[in-house]
Formats: sequence, structure tokens, C-alpha cells
Amino acid sequence: MSDEANELARTTEHRLEELEKGLFTSDLSVNEFLLIKEVGYHPLGFVMGSSIYHTGIQTRKWSQSQELTKLTEAMYNARELAMSRMEDEAAQLGADGVVGVRLDVNYYEWGKDAAEFIAVGTAVKAEDGVSRLNKLGKPFTSDLSGQDFWTLLQTGYMPQGLVMGTCVYHIAHRGLGQTLQTTGQNMELPNFTQALYEARELAMTRMQDEANQLGASGIVGVRLEEKTHQWGSHTIEFLSLGTAVTKTADVVSLAKPITIISLDN
Amino acid sequence: MSTETPIPDGSTLRADVRLAMASLENPSTSHTSVASVTSDLSIDEELNLHAVGWQPVELVSGVSAFSVPSGLWNWGQGEIVGAIRAHENAFSHAILQLQRDAAQAGGHGVVGVRVERAVHPTHVEVSLVGTAVRPIGASAVDSLKVFTSDLSGRDFALLDAAGWQPLGLAHGASFVYAPRRQMSTVLAQQSQNVELTNFTNAIYEARETAMERLQAIALSLAGTGIVQVQVVEGPMSFASHAIGFATWGTVVRLTREAHQRVEPQMVMSMNDRASAFEATTLG
Amino acid sequence: MTSVSPDPQVPTGQGSFSSGLSVSDFAACLDMGLEPLGLVQGFCVMRSQPTMSQMSLSMGMTPYQPAPNDYVENYHCPHGIVSAEHRMWGQNYQQTWIERIWRQGFSSAYTRMLSEATTLHAHGIVGVFDNVTPLVQDGIVEFRMFGTAVRLKDHQSTSPPWSTYLAGQRLAKSFEAGFAPVSIVAAVSSVRVSASCVTQYAVEGTGSLLYGQGNDSFEIEQLVSARAAARGLVRQSVKSQLHADQLHGVELLMREHDFGHGDFEIQPVLRGNRVRRFKNFAALLAPRPTVTLS
Repeated sequence: MSDEANELARTTEHRLEELEKGLFTSDLSVNEFLLIKEVGYHPLGFVMGSSIYHTGIQTRKWSQSQELTKLTEAMYNARELAMSRMEDEAAQLGADGVVGVRLDVNYYEWGKDAAEFIAVGTAVKAEDGVSRLNKLGKPFTSDLSGQDFWTLLQTGYMPQGLVMGTCVYHIAHRGLGQTLQTTGQNMELPNFTQALYEARELAMTRMQDEANQLGASGIVGVRLEEKTHQWGSHTIEFLSLGTAVTKTADVVSLAKPITIISLDN
Repeated sequence: MSTETPIPDGSTLRADVRLAMASLENPSTSHTSVASVTSDLSIDEELNLHAVGWQPVELVSGVSAFSVPSGLWNWGQGEIVGAIRAHENAFSHAILQLQRDAAQAGGHGVVGVRVERAVHPTHVEVSLVGTAVRPIGASAVDSLKVFTSDLSGRDFALLDAAGWQPLGLAHGASFVYAPRRQMSTVLAQQSQNVELTNFTNAIYEARETAMERLQAIALSLAGTGIVQVQVVEGPMSFASHAIGFATWGTVVRLTREAHQRVEPQMVMSMNDRASAFEATTLG
Repeated sequence: MTSVSPDPQVPTGQGSFSSGLSVSDFAACLDMGLEPLGLVQGFCVMRSQPTMSQMSLSMGMTPYQPAPNDYVENYHCPHGIVSAEHRMWGQNYQQTWIERIWRQGFSSAYTRMLSEATTLHAHGIVGVFDNVTPLVQDGIVEFRMFGTAVRLKDHQSTSPPWSTYLAGQRLAKSFEAGFAPVSIVAAVSSVRVSASCVTQYAVEGTGSLLYGQGNDSFEIEQLVSARAAARGLVRQSVKSQLHADQLHGVELLMREHDFGHGDFEIQPVLRGNRVRRFKNFAALLAPRPTVTLS
């Protein structure tokens, strides 16, 4: 960890000390809080990690579809930094894991090409005292809500970590000649299709690699987000996120759900 | 424990409706209460409250506005103390007023508090509106003993069933100036992927101090936790070089010997989602 | 108040009905034994004319003298500065004329909706929807109300129809809980803030150094007091219409107009369902957390 990062840890220390005395903070709703208690966990504190990152400039070729590796790297590293700081906070609290993780990107007017990457969640600890740290010896992380966490544990699976893969891709503009030729026609644009395919594949594969590192048997709740951030419409970030899980116990008999049609508007 | 919820019977419902109609026409048969009650709780919330032995009393509110010394936002380093103090004061004064209003109506607490806050360059406003509640038939208490909470009536009842009790609203805010970068650094960093550590530091500190203030209030209320923590953050609309961070939540404490486990109920909604697939066009 | 006769085209309960209810609300209505008869509505357009007292309220003249029981608070300049630019006094006062016009508009629209329902031989109006907005200064404001008239089968009644904002399951639950709907209730209060010098400088952020308020943050008493008063007044006004009944599902809408220089007009609207208890009800089971699978 760099000196600056150590500095961060110091400002946080006092707050975390208070949390160690037994006070917990959590952005969970009451429903989620009770569900987490129900599966034998106690919330320890609201933990967060953040990193303000300046993304370098990369030239793009007007008419060529390609991955912008420098931007991909920046987006990935910044999120990793935020995540690992959040994990550090959780580890300091003696947590077994972090649930309800949210990853956000904030832009500030003063930082051109700079963005803040932030990860927040609620650190939890198993009440039976048995460690639930993941294969890497770190608290598990998961973007599952309290409800989903409860349901997942009922199935005998255990979250190992929030895994992600990203890919920033530049999609070629079409030449003027091409545009004129195809005006008025309904047709597939194969280069667009191809580019989108490739970018999504790259993001998904990277996410799966992360899950493999954790020795996970699967990923649940995968979301694929596409954002243009501040780069103009032809440069797109494909971000895939999910919670890596492994089977650790047999299925707890899952109560049969009551089927309802909500009559509230 | 029996978990069967009685299924409402259509025939008794119709009988109830007829009974209601008859009583409207013949006012002498209705069970008029001594004092009128106003509450912004929905009927479900009121029923939930009754289930744990509480009742709504009155719609109550607390407001405050504190001035911010002028010329504060534009220059400086570190925390913007004047704004932080204004925010803190406005929040705690509004809570005091809410407690007073509730105590006067005979409430022991306020649930479902709607928190509205606005930070202007010159002043900070906080407005709180909620419903005063009390254990059924209980007599009035001192205003300082009145708890405040932004939890809904349903959440209040849920917590109560699990052996927890809300103690009050905790809040914390922090405003900081964004650090400036030297011209030479800006140029050097132009084409690089780098973390801007001084910015990260500044924002970290703002968050941490705000959260610490939140926790300090929780500890002073002898709470063991804060649930449903809300966070509002970002650059101030009127001063882009200033960053604001505000947070609040309900302080809770376990009132029984141990947490009472409440078995969750799984429901499956048969309502369709609005749309499963959405195609977007490239620009 | 002139009377506007209800639309003669209103169907008389024969043949098909129209209703503003969603399918689930419609189903719940039938479940309660209430038959929808038709959509009923009421309108009223009001105009607020600035009165003499309002016009004399420009700064520099004497403070406004309100009626004995109205809310008023005076604030005096603590600086002792005599200048055309410096306000010598400030005042919060209740604008009863605005409240009166609003009350008139609301009740006219309501009465018209009710008379439409009466011609349908309805027993009640469910799912009322209105656009309750406070009057803008010098503005023309329309009060609109819609609802679905319903009738209880084989029931004879001579009293005017009841009304409620609720429809569907919520209304059914309310009946089961032992609450009979009486009527929708709404009220407005209007408080004008003519800022004193202290308030003006605090809101505008000027002169705090000039006039010796230093760098401290202080509570803007006049504004806080006006807001608290406006809320208190609107609550009082609604409670005066309850006659020992309860008001459920209250909504408090805050509207404020900023005139600049620290001057404000604060007009909260409070509305809800007036209900009457007709039986004691057995409490529900304690709630349980739910996990929604979808």
C-alpha cells in the first residue's frame, strides 16, 4: 500500500474504532437487517472505498473498431482500488464479508477526465464465530441485497466475491460512402454487430477469470452495463458484474413461496 | 408458532361495509373517540402499529433554517466549518421541534419522518414531517424522551417484533474544498492513468468525518446500531469546488435480552415486469 | 356563490357504467359489494384579486394590521440604521383572504361532484383524484375533482354520499379495520414573510459583516417561525373539519414562493381521508419480513 493509502487508513481508524465498540451502521433497510440476522450474521458497519482517478487520453481511429486498452485499464484499476479499500475497512472491523455492495462513478466539474470510483456496502460477521473469509483470505463481497443474500444461503451456496470485467471499446464510424449507399435500406450493420459482440465477450471473460481465481463454482446475478461516460457515443464501456458463489452446504429446505398478485398501484 | 394468516372472507367484508354504512347514517352508534387523530400513515401501517400495541396520534413537524456566513464557499482549504455547523444546528433544532410538537400531542415517538433538507449558499434548511405514535392509551411523556425515526410504520412494527427499538435520528454532514492541482501536475498527468490521491484524500476525509458525527450522535443516544443510513453526496450546485456529504439514519437498540428471530415469508409476485429487453440505438 | 347545475348528460345508473378504477380496484369494489355507477366530477375556477390590504403591503409603509385572531409576528431592526435601503421592520402574517378563496373553490368543486353522485343515487365516491394546488399570486386557479360513484346493493340511504381518496384493497382493509369513510378533507394555510433586515441579509448572504452578525451561523428565526406557523395553521384548519373523527393517509404538500430579498409566501396544503370508527377490530398478527422472488 502506498503512503497516501496509509494516510487514508488513519483518517478512517477513529470511526472504525467506534464501530468496534459495538455500534453498527448500515444502509440496509429494516427488512434486510432482519433477514441478515436470520441467517446468523450481524452487521458491523457501513464500509466504503473510493478512488479519484485520472484516465489518460487515448487516440481512436475514426473508422476502426478496437478496444481502448488504456481506458479499460484505468476503469478496472480505479474500481479495484475502491473495492480493495472497502475490503480493507471491512477486514479492520474483523468482518467475514460485505453485502449490498454498490459501485458508483461520480464526475466532478473540476476534474476533466477525472472520475471518482466509489464502493460502499455493509460489513457483516457470522455470529457463530466460524470464519467465512474467501479463498484469498479476504472478506467476501457481494452486490446481493439482504433478501437475495438470505435466499442464496438457503440454497446452500456462499458468496465468495463481487467479480467484474470491463472493456472500453471504440466502435467505428461508418464512412460517408457507406452511409450514402445504404440510406433508405433496412439492413444489419455487421461491423457494429461484430464490435458489440467482441466487447461484451471480453468483459464477460474477464469477469469469469476473476471468479476462477476465487475458486467459485458459478456467478449469480450477472449484470451487463453499458456506459458512454464522457467519451461521446462511439466509445462505450461494457461492464459486467456479478457475485461469485461456491456450494458449501446442502440446500436448506426452502419454504414454498406464497404466490401473490400485488393489488397496490 | 402458527404462521397462517387469516384469509379475509368476502362475506364478512361485505357485512363490515354494511355496518359502516349504517353507522354513517346513525351517528349515535359510532365509536367516536374523544380527540380527533391525524396521521399520514397508510391503513396497512396503522394496522401494523396496532399489531404491536401502538397507535398514531397526530401529524407533527419540525423545521429549522440556519444562516451560513457569506463568502464561505469560494476559497479555502479543508473543511468548510461554517456550513457544517449550520447543517448540524438546523438538523438538531428541527429534531427538537419535532419532539416538542409530538410530546404536545401526547406521542412517545415519531415514525415515518420525511427528511427534507436543502443547502443554499447562504443558509441550510431542514424540514421533518412524521406521525406521532404512542402505546395504545399511554399518557404523555416529556419531549426529550420522544424518539424520532425515519422508519415507516411497518418497519417500526417489524423491528419491535424482533426486539429492537428506535431511539432517534442521527445525522452528520461535512463540506470540504476540493484541493487545487498545480499547473505543472495537470500537464504531466494529461495522458496518464493515475490516481489523484489528494482528491481522494479530501473526499475520504469528508465522508469519514460526516460518518463519525453520525456515529457520535448514535453513541450519545446509547444506541447499538444505525439502520437505513441515507447518504447524499456530490459537488455543490452553486460552488463546484466544494463537495458536500450528508448522512442520516435511525439509531436503534436491542431492548430484549436477545434478538428475536422472525421467520421470513417468501412471496412471489405475479405482476409482470414492465419490459425485459430494451434496445438502444447507437448515435 | 352561484350554483352551476350538474351536466344533464350524466347517465342515471342505467346500462353501462364508466369508472376511473383500475382492474384491481374494480375487483376490490365488487368484493366489498359496491357497484360502480359512473365517473363523477366537479370543477371550480377561482381568481384571487389583490385586496387593498395586500396592496398596501409594500415595504416602507406601516406594518399590516391583521384581524384579532390571525397569526402575525413583528420583527424590528436591531441595528438602529435609518436608510431607504435598510428595512426597519419585518412581519409574518396570515393571508386569510387566500385561505378563504381556496376553501371556497375546493368546497364548490366538491359540492358539484357530490351532486353528480346524488343524481346517480350513489352511496359513496371512491378513488377521488384532485389537483389541489395553492393559489398563485394574482393567479387563476382551477379546482378539479374526479371520482367513481358507487352504490351498495339493496341499501336505502337518505344521507349525502361519502367520499374517499382510497379505492381497492386499501379501502377494503380500512372497512375491515373498522373505519367508515366520511369524506375527503383538505385545507390550505397561507403565511407571508416580509423579511426584516436580519432575515434579508441571512437569506441573501449579504451584509453579515457590515451589520455585525460576524461569521457565526445563526437560526433564521423569522423564516423558521413562519414555516412552523403555516404548518400549525393548516393542521388546525383541517382538525376543525373533523368533528372528533380521524384523518387517515394524510399528505402534506409544501409550496413556497420566493419573492427575493428574503420575502416568501408559504402555503402548505394538507389533505386526507376523514374516517369514523364503527367497530373495534382485532389486531393483525405481528408483521414478518418478506423475501420477494421475481
